[in-house]
Amino acid sequence: MEVEVGKTAKYLREKQGVPEHIKEELKEFNRIKREITNALQNEELTIAQLSEKLQMSTYDVTYYLMSLVKYGIVATGEIDDMDEYYSYKLVK
Amino acid sequence: MNEERKVIKYDALVIGGGIAGGEAALNLANTGYKVLLVEKDRSLGGKMILLSKVFPTLDCSACITTPKVSEIARHQNITIFTESEVSDIVKKSENNFTAQITKKPRYVRVEDCTACQLCEKACPVSVRDEYQFGLIGRKAAFIPFSIANPKAAAIDIENCTLCGACEKVCPTHCIDFTMETEYYELHTKTVILATGFNLFDPLEIPRYGYGQYKNVITSMQMEREIAPTRPFNTILRPGDGKVPDKIAYVLCTGSRDATVGNPICSQICCMYSIKQAQLLMGALPMADVTIYYINIRSFGKGFEEFYQQAKGMGVNFVKGKIGKINEKEDGNLILTYEDINEGVVKEAEHDMVVLSVGAKSNPTNGKMFGQEKLKLDPFNFIAQDDLQGNPSKTNINGVFVAGTASAPMDIPDSILSAGSASSEAISYLIQHQEA
Repeated sequence: MEVEVGKTAKYLREKQGVPEHIKEELKEFNRIKREITNALQNEELTIAQLSEKLQMSTYDVTYYLMSLVKYGIVATGEIDDMDEYYSYKLVK
Repeated sequence: MNEERKVIKYDALVIGGGIAGGEAALNLANTGYKVLLVEKDRSLGGKMILLSKVFPTLDCSACITTPKVSEIARHQNITIFTESEVSDIVKKSENNFTAQITKKPRYVRVEDCTACQLCEKACPVSVRDEYQFGLIGRKAAFIPFSIANPKAAAIDIENCTLCGACEKVCPTHCIDFTMETEYYELHTKTVILATGFNLFDPLEIPRYGYGQYKNVITSMQMEREIAPTRPFNTILRPGDGKVPDKIAYVLCTGSRDATVGNPICSQICCMYSIKQAQLLMGALPMADVTIYYINIRSFGKGFEEFYQQAKGMGVNFVKGKIGKINEKEDGNLILTYEDINEGVVKEAEHDMVVLSVGAKSNPTNGKMFGQEKLKLDPFNFIAQDDLQGNPSKTNINGVFVAGTASAPMDIPDSILSAGSASSEAISYLIQHQEA
């Protein structure tokens, strides 16, 4: 079967489908990304502050926040006076 | 399964594209032999390409690995199959082996990919990045890591939503979801096994709390944290993003430990921990670094001086066996240990613990051969049939072993071993060449 260049994902999607858990994981990531970016909309926050605001463990916040830094959505801000915790801000 | 196999012919098959396999392939290729180098991962370079620096010279690991890997990739006598596995190796006669190779689809035509990363930006999926040992996410359309070779995108089909966003933005139209698994029947004259080793999984020692306590990490995770291509902007605790200032190393995690079925020494955990401690003291000058050890085995060239240098820099060495690790509410960790010199049980608080994991054999070692059985040692490393006289020979004439597939060893010894294996393979090829 000839598949049009640039539309091969559609071909495989129709051939084998996408497992439900993959779709759910994407929704979950998008939800967390939205919550973090909303929380950082008007202020810089540390991981502990984000954790409290989002009611999410500091471990999960660290993982998702650092991923968003890697993806260029969030940037690292200043470190606190004790040189322990950085704050994070949205890339505008 | 009705799979069409393409028949291919090479003088030598090298299995494993780490530093030992790469070195062996280069030596064979430079002598004029046609080599097929088969790597199971998406990039060449093995574990070494992911290291920060190497001991005892503190040379940049990437600066050594990248040019070598590049030379391998560009060599006209070397063909590379990544994301591929070898099975059913059969020796028909001297100088005459067959093997079956399965090459998984990358869904990217490597030759057309410019590594522009537009697909990566467009991909909406985020999953844990195995090349950063789970510390951070990566996309489903991604370049494995910045110095990967081939430096080309790959699609993680297991986690891909097949949304097509990557395809739409690809300027060279190199993404192709119609790619399928390819099957090959290889005819070759000699085989070099450079399948490497696996790191010990610390989940096997629950009392150390790995997986449960988020500030207990493995040495490979710390290796990534101190590498130039690190996951975070600096060294941070994964549990809460704090910059640590009291770091402990637990040596011999899963090595020299019969209770986890691995009584052998890893040969590397003393020295890589000492290396990391020195690098940490450079990166975090105010931090205290303590190494808990049973014995420091500084046996190699320059190792004892390297150990003394770490002591001189202020690294704290405690001869102690860790009993258990408990977590405090603030994420700090209490280590309960036997002080071996004083013969008493003590406790110490640290804000991050690094488990210096040992080396285990690669479980695929015994599964690649069809009729003839490849002999393994008691720890499932590939047995060296003539350890003292000819350490690269296996029990199958014409099949040679290189690097850590035969036993744990450091990088210089792996490269030496690869040199030995390739020399033996060349000698075998010459001895058995057709008249």
